Amino acid sequence: MPAKTKSKTAVSKPTLKNIGLSEETLMGLYTNLLKTRTLDERFRKLFRQGRFAGTYFSAVGQEATTVGPTYGTREEDIIAPSHREIGAAVTKGIPLVHIVAQVYARINSPDKGKTHPCHYGWRAKGVISPSSTLAGQTIVGTGCAMGFWIQKKDNVVLAFFGEGATSRGGWHEALNFAGIHKLPIVYICQNNLWAESVPATMQAGIKHFADRAKAYGFPGVTIDGNDIVLVHQTAAEAIARARAGEGPTLIECKTYRWYGHSEIDPADYRTQDEIDEWRRKDPLDRADRLLQDLGILTTEKREAIVVEVNQEIDAAIDACEKEKYAEPEEAYIDVYSEQFPVRRDEY
Amino acid sequence: MKKTTFIEAITQAMAEEMERDEHVFLIGQDIGLYGGVFKATKGLLDKFGPRRVIDAPISEVYIAGGSVGAAMVGLRPVAEIQFADFITPSMDQIIQQMAKMRYRTGAQWTSPMTIRVCCGGDVGGGLYHSQINEQWFFSQPGLIVLLPSTPYDAKGLLKSAIRGDDPVIFFEHKRLYRWIKEDLPEEDFTVPIGRAAIRTEGKDVTIVSYGLMAHRSREAVDQLEKDGISCELIDMRTILPWDRETIFESVKKTSRVVLVQESSKTGGVMAEVGAAIAEELFDYLDAPVTRVCGLDVPAIPFAPPMEHYFLPNAEKIGRVVKKVMAY
Ligand SMILES: Cc1ncc(C[n+]2csc(CCOP(=O)(O)OP(=O)(O)O)c2C)c(N)n1
Repeated sequence: MPAKTKSKTAVSKPTLKNIGLSEETLMGLYTNLLKTRTLDERFRKLFRQGRFAGTYFSAVGQEATTVGPTYGTREEDIIAPSHREIGAAVTKGIPLVHIVAQVYARINSPDKGKTHPCHYGWRAKGVISPSSTLAGQTIVGTGCAMGFWIQKKDNVVLAFFGEGATSRGGWHEALNFAGIHKLPIVYICQNNLWAESVPATMQAGIKHFADRAKAYGFPGVTIDGNDIVLVHQTAAEAIARARAGEGPTLIECKTYRWYGHSEIDPADYRTQDEIDEWRRKDPLDRADRLLQDLGILTTEKREAIVVEVNQEIDAAIDACEKEKYAEPEEAYIDVYSEQFPVRRDEY
Repeated sequence: MKKTTFIEAITQAMAEEMERDEHVFLIGQDIGLYGGVFKATKGLLDKFGPRRVIDAPISEVYIAGGSVGAAMVGLRPVAEIQFADFITPSMDQIIQQMAKMRYRTGAQWTSPMTIRVCCGGDVGGGLYHSQINEQWFFSQPGLIVLLPSTPYDAKGLLKSAIRGDDPVIFFEHKRLYRWIKEDLPEEDFTVPIGRAAIRTEGKDVTIVSYGLMAHRSREAVDQLEKDGISCELIDMRTILPWDRETIFESVKKTSRVVLVQESSKTGGVMAEVGAAIAEELFDYLDAPVTRVCGLDVPAIPFAPPMEHYFLPNAEKIGRVVKKVMAY
């Protein structure tokens, strides 16, 4: 794989043929992108209205980096996310009602309200409910890939993380191990230039985080993370290699988060010029224009998708706002298997 | 028949479980080609191949965290941390992933796995090869913590750990590896997690201990018997969740209790056991709950006289028991 993959959508007159994707795939990518964006913006609004507790980690602006790789994966493939992977949750097919319930911490949340917003997980679709410890799921996800390797299964793992997480020692240990045994895993770094308030230049002495792959003996590529077609195709190729037993790939997607680290962060460490520049590279807008140029998306078609997506989101929010929280005593549940009930203290 | 050593019991448990269940695999440093620095995994690479006996790079974070991932997709990992002293990098994965997987995910994902940890002093290992740090794990609900003192318990508990659905930290005291031997049953057996063992029955005072200290306590009990003091010796075996019932019943009977642990006193396992006894059994007690522990210093020092001074032994335990009896 080349160190930098060229975009196939950058040519003046794109066609389905020279892009190499079907209309169905392109529409699928677009719809998931749109759904993710709409849901994400809605969550931000709901947070400001005080309709759920905690905070919210928006991924607006960088959705292509999660939707693109996840689209087309198998049910048994594992998603090992961090905190900004709403696009992977949506695209892997976690029902929206469970995604909303997770943010609302209601009883119908897959985690039963135990962990805080944006830790989407759903066993039935192979999405791990993450811990907050950065690179945590990169390490555990590598272990899942080791499990597939031991059992000689051809499932793959997609591990997502920000560039900040790559500075952790455990991240290195995981990729090092994956390189030794050519584990079936694809590492996807969402380099959104900032780790909370720390710029990528203060995170590492290298410019391209994909260069880290050299140390592990597998390919690393740096790509435009806001080009959904490029992200999808690069990841699909890496997934195919992983499935075939040819080992991991580290894909660095250059991208940007439009808003604060979380909704309580004013993100005043960034310049307006930088924000404006990246807003012009909006991955949804670019996908929209591409599909229009290809003649597979019309205004009417888009409107129909928007209406459908909003209806689905409204229904999910409505259902969750009517749901209860788990009983407080459920704090004692799921500590151990049933063999070891926890002794309860009453005060 | 040849008696089985503590370490042979551990090897047998792993080999038999690997034979029984193809999902069981081993990962750790020097466990394959070399058979383990203490030879706990001797012969297993040849028998089960390199995907089930994995020689890991020096990556304690990954050994723990990677095992969690493998457990999540249906395997039964048995990881080895060569020395308890080097488990610190694994703490992140043990505390944040292994212990919390079931809780955090609403039991969608679980981490049925075992980490074997070689631990303990009285071997001239010095600061970095003698540590015993069960108390760090003891204070983390979600983990099972085991620390057996006999080959029978080591084999039976390790099997229970591997077969169970919960994450286990399995401490192996290296001083016991080749010292303690016994006849083991030919047939398959397990030892239940969460049950202490009453090693000697007695009526005057209860001594609670585990690991190497169960043996040191036993030596003290034998001496005290000669001095006319009848001790009931309880070996906890499972540190978390600990067997309140057995310990409480004994203390109710004897009204006196001495708690013995090798690791430092402050914040140790016996601090909790002692507090629970004080909280629940105040009316039964005829003397203060009393501990004999390792010193409150950073680790076991190397020079032999200092190491000896650090560790509880039969003499120290005996003196303390007599004080408690005289109260
Ligand atoms: C081990 C650890 N250290 C610190 C934090 C606090 N924290 C949460 S997100 C974050 C920045 C993460 O940056 P990056 O990995 O680039 O992901 P991004 O938020 O940009 O998507 C920090 C410092 C944490 N959750 N875990």
